[in-house]
Formats: sequence, C-alpha cells, structure tokens
Amino acid sequence: MAKSVAIYTTPTCVYCRMAKEFFKKNNVKYKEIDVSSDDRAVQEMVEKSGQMGVPVITVDKEVIVGFNESKLRKALGLKG
Amino acid sequence: MASKYDVLIVGGGPAGFAAAIFAARRNLKTLLLAKSLGGQITRSFGVENYPGFLKIPGTELMMKVSEQAEKNGAEIKYEEVMEITKKGHDFEVKTKENKYSSQTVILAYGKTPRDLGIKGEEKYAGLGVFYCSTCDMPIMRNKTIAVIGGGSDAVDAATFGAGICKKVYLIYKGEELAADLPAIERLKKMPYKEEDTKKLKNHKKLERKARNVEILLKHWPVEVKGDKFVKSLVIQEVDSKKTREIPLDGVFVEIGFIVKTEMVSKLVKLDKFKQVITDKMCRTSRPGIFAAGDITDLEVKQAVASAGEGCKAALAAYLYIQEKSGKKIRLEPDWA
Repeated sequence: MAKSVAIYTTPTCVYCRMAKEFFKKNNVKYKEIDVSSDDRAVQEMVEKSGQMGVPVITVDKEVIVGFNESKLRKALGLKG
Repeated sequence: MASKYDVLIVGGGPAGFAAAIFAARRNLKTLLLAKSLGGQITRSFGVENYPGFLKIPGTELMMKVSEQAEKNGAEIKYEEVMEITKKGHDFEVKTKENKYSSQTVILAYGKTPRDLGIKGEEKYAGLGVFYCSTCDMPIMRNKTIAVIGGGSDAVDAATFGAGICKKVYLIYKGEELAADLPAIERLKKMPYKEEDTKKLKNHKKLERKARNVEILLKHWPVEVKGDKFVKSLVIQEVDSKKTREIPLDGVFVEIGFIVKTEMVSKLVKLDKFKQVITDKMCRTSRPGIFAAGDITDLEVKQAVASAGEGCKAALAAYLYIQEKSGKKIRLEPDWA
C-alpha cells in the first residue's frame, strides 16, 4: 500500500526543493504544505516535529526533519 | 565492497558541480557527494555577479547547475563525507551510510556557517534560532526577529525580513556595516510597494521601505532566552558592556563561514588559515587529491571563481588518470 507523504515547506527553502526533486525522481506522490502563509500549518508542523525549521517530511506516522536522503529512502522503502 | 569511481567530488557548491560537469564530459565515472545542495550561495536571495544572470536566487542557480551535472552523466548523492583515506593506489571515502573508492578525489566542500557560541544558542537551534534565512524566515511572518551580522548576507536577510516580519533588529558589533553598498542601499532606500504578505513566490514583491528595521551597531548578543521556544535575546553594548533584553520570536545567525579541514589535515598540506594549499592546476600536496573553491588558499572567494577552479580540478584529475595509465596526452578543449 502506498505511503502517505507530506512535506512542510517555505517557497525560498533550498532543502525543501531538494526534497521535492527527490520525490519527483523517485515517483513519490506527496502533499505540500506551504507554512509561509498559514499559521495553523506552522502550529501543526511544530507539534509534529517539535521545532520550527523546514522542511519537515512525514511518511505515514514517521517524521523527518530536514532533507536526509538515506532516511527518506528507508522510510519510503526505496533502494539505493 | 566499495564502488569504484574515477573522480569523487566532495562538496555541492559551484566548485563541486563545475568539477562534476567537466569530469563527466571527459567520460570519467564521476560521483559528487554533498551534505546539501548549493552551499553558501543558496543563502543569497539574489546573486547579481554570476556571469549570465542579472539577478538569480542562489538556490535557483544551483538547481540549474546540478541538473547540468546530472545531464552530463555525473552521479549525485546527498550524503555527508566523514572520512577520506588512501587505500593502495586509490582513495576510500566514507559517509555515514556508505563507502566509496575512487582514483581521485576533489575537495570542494567550501566553508561551514559560523555559530555564535553563546548561552542558549544550541538549546534553541530550530526552536527560534536559525542559520538559514532563505529557508526559515518566512515562518516568522508578522513576528519580531533579530538578524545577527553585518555582512551582505546579514543585510540581505534583514531586507527579506523587512518585507515579512513585524520588526527586524539588525545587530552587529562593528561601528559600520561591513556589507557591500548595493546590499545596504537595498535595506535603507527600497521603494515602498503594497504587497500581499501571504504571497511570497516573487522576491521582488518583498521589497518595501525598511521602516520596520532597527540597526543596532556596536552591539552583540550574549544569550538567547525562552521557554519552549525563543522569547528574547540579551544583547550587550560593545564599549560600555551594558546589556538589554529584547523580546522577540526568532534569531537569524548570519556571521559568515569557517573552513573545516580537520578531516583532511593529515592527507594534504594546509596554510595558516587551515585552507588547502593548491597549485595553479588545483593539485594539492597529495597526488590524486585536488581542491577547488573556498576550501583552498585561493584569495578570491566568489562563486564564478570557484566554478573556474572546479573546472581546472576536474581536468587536472583527468590528466592525472591518463598519466597513471601510461598515456601522455595534451589537454584539448572538450568542445573542439
């Protein structure tokens, strides 16, 4: 069953762009939540990750702070 | 068993990716390893001195460069290199996750952001203390922040904040800001434009007259305070040592970068500033290891200079590999 993936981002964040490029290359469907214009989304992100930096990536219930390719591959069950 | 490459590049900035492009175009099996894409240049909201672009965000420039490197055949992996050792005729490069072997290594990992080293800074990292203004400042929309530093990066961060935040303190210990004139002019004399602060897609919309910026010269932070998140910053006047506490929500540290070459200090010769010493063709004191960009003793620390050095390092690696296999060749351009 496909995993539910979401990423909390801001428009100017380079690590967010890297993460989205990674998703695109690996055909991973994801939901993007832009926290720059949504205070409720910031609150949600802080509650899930315990901090305010972006990106925050959720894969089902797992929370990954920052762009960490190997952690993401493991969470998504991707080879490499 | 470790994977074998011809050229392994450590670092994902202009030097590293230029090296990747030129190495791959010489049909060398090329791997670029980087902790993250772009390095220092991604902290710039608008690079205006890279030939070919009037003004381009650093992240966008590096996205184009990385795409070019991949299209030319270089392999790119985002892993942090922890150790480089000589193994027989090759080099072994270890990351946290993997181990790689290569005939040559190009050191191009530039510099690392400097931290303040003050009380509360580590405790509140990610909880109101930030080191990436381009990434995290949008979260501080309508809040009060401080930008620490006086160089162009700090001033540009304050400018960005002026368009988003309720109030920006720009705090610097010097008597004058050290930023270049265009950066200072942008902060102080920008035209005022009505803007929808909810839409941050176009950087030009962020320019507004900086009436919400307070510049505090001859001051420096001494402590970050808060509860679960940052709530205030204690700053000290440089001469009188008088302190005051400013209530705020975020602290952005923009105080420059340092060279971290401990990992290679036993492999290659360093100068008194701990930068890697290279010759005109980016060769280090260790045959097979080359270096390019801000990690070297090159005096000019600019993206385009680093890219040029990356090109030279890749071609020097190519020549080294040819000579190692007994071929005597001249360096011809790859477009001839």
